[in-house]
Amino acid sequence: MRSSSRGRLNVAATTDDTQEETDAPAAPPARRRGTGRIAAAVSVFGELLITAGLVLGLFVVYSLWWTNVIADRAADKQGDKVRDAWAHPAKDTGPGALDTKNGIGFLHVPAMKNGEVLVEKGTSTEVLNDGVAGYYTDPVKAALPTTGKKGNFTLAAHRDGHGAKFHNIDKLKVGDPIVFETKDKWYVYKVYDILDETSKYNVKVISQIPKESGKKKAGHYITLTTCTPVYTSRYRYVVWGELVRVDKVDSKRTLPKELR
Amino acid sequence: MYGWIWRHLPGNVWVRALISLLLVLAVIYVLFQYVFPWAEPLLPFNDVTVDNQ
Repeated sequence: MRSSSRGRLNVAATTDDTQEETDAPAAPPARRRGTGRIAAAVSVFGELLITAGLVLGLFVVYSLWWTNVIADRAADKQGDKVRDAWAHPAKDTGPGALDTKNGIGFLHVPAMKNGEVLVEKGTSTEVLNDGVAGYYTDPVKAALPTTGKKGNFTLAAHRDGHGAKFHNIDKLKVGDPIVFETKDKWYVYKVYDILDETSKYNVKVISQIPKESGKKKAGHYITLTTCTPVYTSRYRYVVWGELVRVDKVDSKRTLPKELR
Repeated sequence: MYGWIWRHLPGNVWVRALISLLLVLAVIYVLFQYVFPWAEPLLPFNDVTVDNQ
């Protein structure tokens, strides 16, 4: 369909052009020439519209497919680096030293069926666009489980495009496990509340004690946030979990039973 | 517009078709590499965090 319309436009434009070239020797009737100009303008306008449509179509391809390719590539690379660093720790880092540059661990959510998600510091576009989940540093700083202190481990990731790591967040149900893996610990959380739509200004959902989920006392919480409905960012989707137990990683990195 | 480009390309139909294809690919590359990454943050599709702004 596209080629046929292009062909037709070509013909129109060609006749137009020959008209212009033969203009000087044998002047065509003035009226004929005027309509030719208008026809040419209309055909250029039409071509521009078709082009705009194609560009918009390409943008959809870009956001829903290409950004995933790029992001997954980046996430795999950084994830490999973290795994490498865990397997062969550099000698100069003392015990307990936490290298946050390439990520602090991996999030496993079996219900989302997306494998492991690398967790990095910050929720800026640059961080999240690498196909990772970011922990909040602003407006409320996340409490990292590795510190052992009570607080809320708040995370954000993309719903669509850029790895779409939280695309299936709506598949999570109360009681589902969320496991955070670090170098030497498995932190097993259980989902206890879900908010399927809230304002993007609702920063209370990521407070250290998320009261909206019904909690009154400090505890070890995890909060996942992403945008909803899919393909837009009108609202935010929030999932809260609470720490159930902490397993030590053994030499074979045996998965906790929730992930088997 | 496209007719004008076609007529100004050198060579026969096949050469022109090949050059056209390369031009299309070049345009797609520029769009994916530069234009779309620039435009994306300006569009309200991919904000996933809660914040005060």
